[in-house]
Amino acid sequence: MKRSLASDPDRLDVQAFEFHATLTGLDDGLDTLHRSVELLRTQTGKPSDDRNLILFETALAEIGSNVLIYTGKHGTSGPPVEYDLRVEANTATASFTDKGPPIHNQLTRAMPAATSEAGRGLAIARKVLDELGYKREGEVNTWRLVKRL
Amino acid sequence: MSLDVLSRQTDAGVTVLAPSGRLDVAGAPMLKEAIGEAVKNGQPRLVIDMEGVSFVDSTGLGSVIAALKLVRSSKGDLRLAAPNQQVRVVLELTTLDRVFPYFATVDEALSGF
Repeated sequence: MKRSLASDPDRLDVQAFEFHATLTGLDDGLDTLHRSVELLRTQTGKPSDDRNLILFETALAEIGSNVLIYTGKHGTSGPPVEYDLRVEANTATASFTDKGPPIHNQLTRAMPAATSEAGRGLAIARKVLDELGYKREGEVNTWRLVKRL
Repeated sequence: MSLDVLSRQTDAGVTVLAPSGRLDVAGAPMLKEAIGEAVKNGQPRLVIDMEGVSFVDSTGLGSVIAALKLVRSSKGDLRLAAPNQQVRVVLELTTLDRVFPYFATVDEALSGF
């Protein structure tokens, strides 16, 4: 894990923040994602009710849990998920890279009916992020999440 | 982080469930189990005290929707109380705030229930 913050104390906005982790299971993986956002929140002094950071964390958890589940990471061994979070010029960019099965036809899912018990995760992420990307190159899935803070 | 759920019964017979932790894909089964237990006996009136819930995701929301269906099929009802800002934002994003009009406190949720 690495993280850093710009050394210029006169600049109050988020200028540079980096976090990297290898996610090794659903529970621990989700803990790590939330911890990375908490680190970002603490280091930048953003309040706990900062709406943009709440939206980013919400989307991050939705995509992260999807990735962890799809790679079969319910506490068992499997291909690792590499997680990166960077903030530059007040824009947060997160990525997940894994060698799980490819994802098909999910990015376009609409928000389901109010009485539906499932199927909201990607719709929420797409709604709150400035950019949500997915690509499959060879055996590798890469998700990219971008949100201006 | 696992989800703990405390359960208590008011004098008026309302069950108050108080989950604590993240109500997410990992924690939702614990709430579902507690709700199933509460619904077993008769016509349930449930208040879910969300004060201890630090974060909710779509699966956690799904467990609350499932609970609502369950209690209504048993001629009961369910109210949400004291959601934090993140929970309120997610309810709003998904328009579930129209399905779950939430109450600021448990006392308010219990009033007239």
